Amino acid sequence: MKTSVVGSRVVREDAWGKVFGQTKFPADVNLQGQIYAVVIRSPHPHARVLGINSEQAMSLAGVVAVLTAKDVPNNSHGVLFRDQPVLAEYIRMVGDPVAVVGAETEEIARAAAKLVEVEYQVLPAVFDPEEAMMPDALPLHPTLRPTNVLYHMPIRRGNLQEGWAQADVVIEKEYSTQHVDHAFLQPEAVLAHVDERGHMVVQTATQYAHYDRGEIAHALGLRFSQVQVKTLAVGGAFGGREDISLQIMAALMAWNTLRPVKMENTREESFYSHSKRHPMRMHYKTGATKDGKLVALEAKIIGDAGAYSSWSINVLRKSAVHASGPYVIPNVSIDSYAVFTNNPYSGAMRGFGAAQTVLAYESQMDLLAKEIGISPLEIRLRNLFKVGSITATGQVLTGSVPLDQCLAKIAPYLQRGGVSQ
Amino acid sequence: MIEIKLVVNDKPYTLEVEPSERLIDALRNRLGLLGTKEGCGEGECGACTVIMDGKTVNSCLVLAAQANGSVITSIEGVGNRRSPHPVQKAFVEVGAVQCGFCTPGMVLSAKNLLDKNSKPSNEEIGIAMSGNLCRCTGYDKILRAVKIAAEEGKE
Repeated sequence: MKTSVVGSRVVREDAWGKVFGQTKFPADVNLQGQIYAVVIRSPHPHARVLGINSEQAMSLAGVVAVLTAKDVPNNSHGVLFRDQPVLAEYIRMVGDPVAVVGAETEEIARAAAKLVEVEYQVLPAVFDPEEAMMPDALPLHPTLRPTNVLYHMPIRRGNLQEGWAQADVVIEKEYSTQHVDHAFLQPEAVLAHVDERGHMVVQTATQYAHYDRGEIAHALGLRFSQVQVKTLAVGGAFGGREDISLQIMAALMAWNTLRPVKMENTREESFYSHSKRHPMRMHYKTGATKDGKLVALEAKIIGDAGAYSSWSINVLRKSAVHASGPYVIPNVSIDSYAVFTNNPYSGAMRGFGAAQTVLAYESQMDLLAKEIGISPLEIRLRNLFKVGSITATGQVLTGSVPLDQCLAKIAPYLQRGGVSQ
Repeated sequence: MIEIKLVVNDKPYTLEVEPSERLIDALRNRLGLLGTKEGCGEGECGACTVIMDGKTVNSCLVLAAQANGSVITSIEGVGNRRSPHPVQKAFVEVGAVQCGFCTPGMVLSAKNLLDKNSKPSNEEIGIAMSGNLCRCTGYDKILRAVKIAAEEGKE
């Protein structure tokens, strides 16, 4: 099929505004009479807020309002479950927002934020997902799940015992990956105001404007039709702008003060407040015949969801689906879990759970090849998906599966020791 | 408040600035030059790059008072839609622009390189652009665009 679009080069029209510095990101829009708001975040990973004293902050000239949990009509938001507070009374991670301060200038707002006294009752925290999975561990979201296991995805195919019986070589290893921040270049910023119709207008950089609108409406107790979200230029996102960041807090401040409200995260605040890539622990046991054919895989993948659900279910589902890699394995048992801890919450990030498992299944392939005495390329050629292959989830691949072509292209580089010239 | 005099994009200004005010704040808040972006506030990312007396600087690490007497070029002083700078044209044509937040700083670093060295080697381009981070990871196209702009300038 020949088209005039696919395969042709198109100049992106928005690029001109960007090379001249004219493009408006949310930090670049302002309104007459706007105030600035900053967030007070918990320094504790697990705590209860016993009291907030904002008297001193309110007495500072230029401070307009200090808002806390009691000022939020419906104090929750979240992409899958509304398990995340707009302003927290019960802290589940370092960085949970407890109050927001609005003032005439950013300097006054930051100075006032230091004067707000928050009294915490610090609780014991759990940072290890395997510890958090224990039946006696305190559940962090008891109304959502009776334990900290948010999600379990089992995949079974063939007969594992028969698989092990056929295996001449078995490799069993543990792999782990760490938190990763998207570090999109433009820190979160938002401008919220109540317009001449009495509607809440929120200008921000988001991956998910229609969801933001619903969450703002829910939290403020407004109708959808009263809330408008305008997406300005998005300065990178990579999954990190799928959850709510400052949108509801800015809207809440604007709704309460009837002043336009500007909020901008510093880079440090940005790191503290948005989701991370799931750290995963992956226990892999893979068996192959001496001819290099894969016959069995047993994998257990534990993903650290951190303090809130965000997209953890979808991410760990994808980890499970991709756990066998692009290889035919007739006997498979895979279990993936998403587990709540008091770590920063994990969410969407490039690859969405498929990236972490690559470390495990490709390392296993290299180790098996070494043990059997064939090349890393050869073991992949003997097992890779082709048209007609059946995946661990039972999907029959009928479309484009050009892995053999892909490996043929890179084979000359692999033979040279993996370094291209 | 401190009084400073500086030239920005060929226009002379006299400004009253706070002792702790950064050059990026003076450019964005006092002069309304919003093309200068703040990505980190600590000189890591280069999004706030401007050219000050012929050198690229992170405007988040320069106090406004330190810019007294200096000549500054921000992105607003480079090219326009009728007559884009060769670097801007190359960035658009090669596709070296994704989210665009790093772009003003990238363009200024590249322009400053070509102002001084019209035939840079690949290595020299790499060094000149090394203070500017792109998180969409379009580095390959960015470096290619600078190379093309250099070749165009030679003609």
